[in-house]
Amino acid sequence: MRTSWKYKILVVDDEPDLERLMLQRMRRDIRAGLYKFVFAHNGVEALERLKEQPDIDLVLSDINMPKMDGLTLIEQIPKVQPDIRSVIISAYGDMKNIRTAMNRGAFDFVTKPIDFDDLKLTISRTLQHLVEWREALESRDKLVALQNELGVASKIQQSILPTRFPDRPGCRIFANMRPARNVGGDFFDVIHLSDGRIGIAIADVSDKGVPAALFMMSCRTLIKGAAIGKTDPGEVLHEVNQLLQEDNDAAMFVTVFYGVYDPDNRQFHYANGGHNSPLVVHADGSSAELPLTGGIALGLIPDLDYDNNTVTLDPGDLIVLYTDGVTEAFDEQGNQFGTERLQEVFAGVEPTDVQAANRSVFEAVEKFAGDTPQSDDITCVTLLHGSDGG
Amino acid sequence: MEISTEREGTLLVARAGGRLDSINAREFDDALKAAISDSDQVLIMDLEKVSYVSSAGLRVILLTAKTLQQRSAKLLICSLAEPIREVFEISGFDKIIPIHANLVEAKASIG
Repeated sequence: MRTSWKYKILVVDDEPDLERLMLQRMRRDIRAGLYKFVFAHNGVEALERLKEQPDIDLVLSDINMPKMDGLTLIEQIPKVQPDIRSVIISAYGDMKNIRTAMNRGAFDFVTKPIDFDDLKLTISRTLQHLVEWREALESRDKLVALQNELGVASKIQQSILPTRFPDRPGCRIFANMRPARNVGGDFFDVIHLSDGRIGIAIADVSDKGVPAALFMMSCRTLIKGAAIGKTDPGEVLHEVNQLLQEDNDAAMFVTVFYGVYDPDNRQFHYANGGHNSPLVVHADGSSAELPLTGGIALGLIPDLDYDNNTVTLDPGDLIVLYTDGVTEAFDEQGNQFGTERLQEVFAGVEPTDVQAANRSVFEAVEKFAGDTPQSDDITCVTLLHGSDGG
Repeated sequence: MEISTEREGTLLVARAGGRLDSINAREFDDALKAAISDSDQVLIMDLEKVSYVSSAGLRVILLTAKTLQQRSAKLLICSLAEPIREVFEISGFDKIIPIHANLVEAKASIG
């Protein structure tokens, strides 16, 4: 029998089946000594476990439970064990509870019925974040406070980015972010929605440092939550804006472009909150900016409406989403890269490889900038509807 | 980060130059705070000499607008170079803060 494991996870749910299911679906990771699971059936029991077992790293909790519910539990956890991360299990699209849980310090959420592949990813991402956080805390004494703060911010930023992308006929996606030194603000997300549709978000948070990184965290989670609860991109941005602008005294804001792609009918349905308009590149290498929908950046003003627009992609069309780190990169003479140069990257070339297309943007910016230091994060997300029959 | 200001009664005109980016956003904010007095009713930011505004620079401008609004004072912006006007348009902030072609028009709009 194994007595050592890398991470200990407390699962809190009043449903008796979950314990059996979790041990079964996670058996490989358990056998490999990666995870050790302990279980509790309500918030009160969970707090007892946490007191008994201070080596628990992560709490995965349901919301509705007898004696003490998950939202109350999330609030109590830091009092017992501050250096811990929690993930909430919520009903599909239950934004109100997700929002409350995030406000009370939950790191992420998964929805019911539980998709175990998604759960595994969420757990590993949360633990990765925890490890980086612990490392940052350990090294805090050794570093200048500011450097450390920026390091923490950039690790938070890195930890929320997806690293695996859809790659199937009809929908190939690739994304990359190159952070600028000491500045953090860009992020992207690729969200698997029902019926094979894919949500794609690209965003740029104003300002830098830990407060901006936490704002980014919250923004990313709210987008993900709203995206799986709503089908209309404009409504997603409306809801995220509404939640972000509450208590935002620091006037931080985020520009967000959010689109939903349906490979079945090749429709790309999108709304824009003050972000650069993506390019659509056709198979002949010609390109145009997607029509603007006129929305304001999120986080500042309540009750904003965001208009939607829909474009239908032709086979071979490539959508290029980017942040201003691309178009506002400077060369040694102080010129900006601009959208025209971005269009030139694709001129006359049929985009057939989504990763190569993405890389060509970074290479063009790098070549243009020469020795000029990168002053802003550079992010590019490419979506290709392949002409290879799918 | 230097700004120059001139005051006409309850109107304050502030001129900034260079880049408003994450490197000097805080300085810009401090300079504005130091320049604005509680009796100012209108602040016109003349950004003619500004060559670049990043999102951190925008945030300072929005924070200033918000602070002024809380005491019923207002912020106007004028003389934006084309790339900077685009930044305001793309972010949608031209819908929040009135933007004028030049200082004369900005002053005329106050009435």
